[in-house]
Amino acid sequence: MTAPATLNETLAVVLARSFADGEVGFTGLLTGAAAALFGTGIPLAAMELAKRLHAPNLTILLAGCYHNPDFSEIDRLPDSEHSAMLRDLPCEAQMVDYPGQFVLKRGDVSFGFSSAVQVDRVGNINSVCVGPHDRPKVRLVGPILQPEHMTLFRREYVMMPHHDRRNFVQKVDYVSGVGYPGGLEGRKKLGLDWGGPCLVVTPKCIFDFDREAGLMKVRSIHRGVTRQDLQDATGFDLGDLSAVPETEHPSESELEILRHHVDPRGVLMPAL
Amino acid sequence: MSKAPLVSKLISLPEAARRVPNGARLALGGFAVYQKPMAFVRELIRQNRRGLTVIGSANSFDVDMLAGAGCLSRVETSYVGLEKHGLARNFRRAVEGGRLKVVDYPEMACWDRFRANQDNFDFWPAKFLGGNDVVTYNDEIKTFPCPITGRTLHAFPAANPDVVVIHAIAADEQGNVVIPARRLLPQSGDVLMGRSCEHVIVTAEKIVPKSFIKRHARFVELPSYRISAVVEVPWGSHPTPTLGRYLSDDGHLDSYVEASATDTAFAAYLDEWVRRPADHFAYLDKLGSAQLSRLTDLGSLA
Repeated sequence: MTAPATLNETLAVVLARSFADGEVGFTGLLTGAAAALFGTGIPLAAMELAKRLHAPNLTILLAGCYHNPDFSEIDRLPDSEHSAMLRDLPCEAQMVDYPGQFVLKRGDVSFGFSSAVQVDRVGNINSVCVGPHDRPKVRLVGPILQPEHMTLFRREYVMMPHHDRRNFVQKVDYVSGVGYPGGLEGRKKLGLDWGGPCLVVTPKCIFDFDREAGLMKVRSIHRGVTRQDLQDATGFDLGDLSAVPETEHPSESELEILRHHVDPRGVLMPAL
Repeated sequence: MSKAPLVSKLISLPEAARRVPNGARLALGGFAVYQKPMAFVRELIRQNRRGLTVIGSANSFDVDMLAGAGCLSRVETSYVGLEKHGLARNFRRAVEGGRLKVVDYPEMACWDRFRANQDNFDFWPAKFLGGNDVVTYNDEIKTFPCPITGRTLHAFPAANPDVVVIHAIAADEQGNVVIPARRLLPQSGDVLMGRSCEHVIVTAEKIVPKSFIKRHARFVELPSYRISAVVEVPWGSHPTPTLGRYLSDDGHLDSYVEASATDTAFAAYLDEWVRRPADHFAYLDKLGSAQLSRLTDLGSLA
């Protein structure tokens, strides 16, 4: 009898099922244990799983630079983008200039993963500041590559390691990555050709989007989380959750591959 | 017939730092926490420089240290953070206290701003800025109709540095700069910055003879005529790494991060590591040869 799936495994499987063969998936290196797990480790495990199932031609861009790296050669999740560790990790193509092998502005990247301090109900994300921009209560790191993730990548998975009212807000304090203000029509008016968030993944639920209306909605709730818990932890009204299903479960074979082939040593998804 | 001697551009670190006046627009090479010209940064602090604008792509200890020493009035970049070492706390306090203005740019746009200067344009166009608050808070980003299609595009300004400072592994006295074949994105950023401005200062791990340059001609990405001054500064990016030469000094960075928790503790760090050592070599002596030798990175042999 296989042990039941952990939340990390469940999320990796949900993501893996959503990738198509031949796509190019970009993950940055997030730091801090929880953010690294959500923003880097789970996405890498998901892509490795998809490659072993239905998407053998998926290309993984680790830290945006290292194409299809050999994870069997590492014993911990990398935490430094241009360190000797990644420089010397075997891979299929190594990016030494920027932009490099992937043609960013023509849309070579099929999907990416980002994290943020705030996300709002239209899917805007913020990693710049909390409070007014010119005199912030908290100054954060800056937009980094988020503007590009949310417009030049074909779609984006927003990976939120914490689900709390201060993270899920009515309106972000600063839009560093654009969601669907005004829906798909709104994005078109902003001059954006493609892209935008597809899923927002949290420890409590998975959101997707009514892209026409430009609103985030709960797609599924994780096992053990009540509808009341979820609404209480969210800073905007989630509407009627009574028909929302529990998050889909991994199959026995998906779990078997994940545990024995993708991440047998717990490198990508360490138990926190 | 006698030949006139070649002009040497070799100067001292204090002389080089004096070429960055108060209020200058300064571009610092390296990327994020990698290969930052930190010895140059420390010298600017020793000289009590004020009112600088730093323009970059992704910044870290460079901006944080200058912010903590009160040297900065403005930063134009995509990121100021310490990667695995967390938030840049001196930077954060300065911004939250209203003492430091940040002009946020997307990461790709930061590189494009230097490309604009390389191509001698005043702006670079973008299709992906609609709806982003980098536009809301930046009067210098304009919209314009594409002259070919009529479509509305954004134009953001070139980086326009007054001075570029990069840290390289080797250069000769005339300013031929070697960028090794085994390089990563931070070194390519240095090359781009070095081609974006007429005032480029290079701090080099080693000043090498012309014969060395001639043996590595394929790797001289910045030829002498692009460089205005060279300075010999071994371990010049410490505590950040120089790729293929030495690793990040994580122990020192941990103590830096601890000191950056308060203004008082950071002032003590600056006294101990920046102001009290007479010069860069006194700083290296204070670190000690045992500590430095442990950081050596052999890179690859071919």
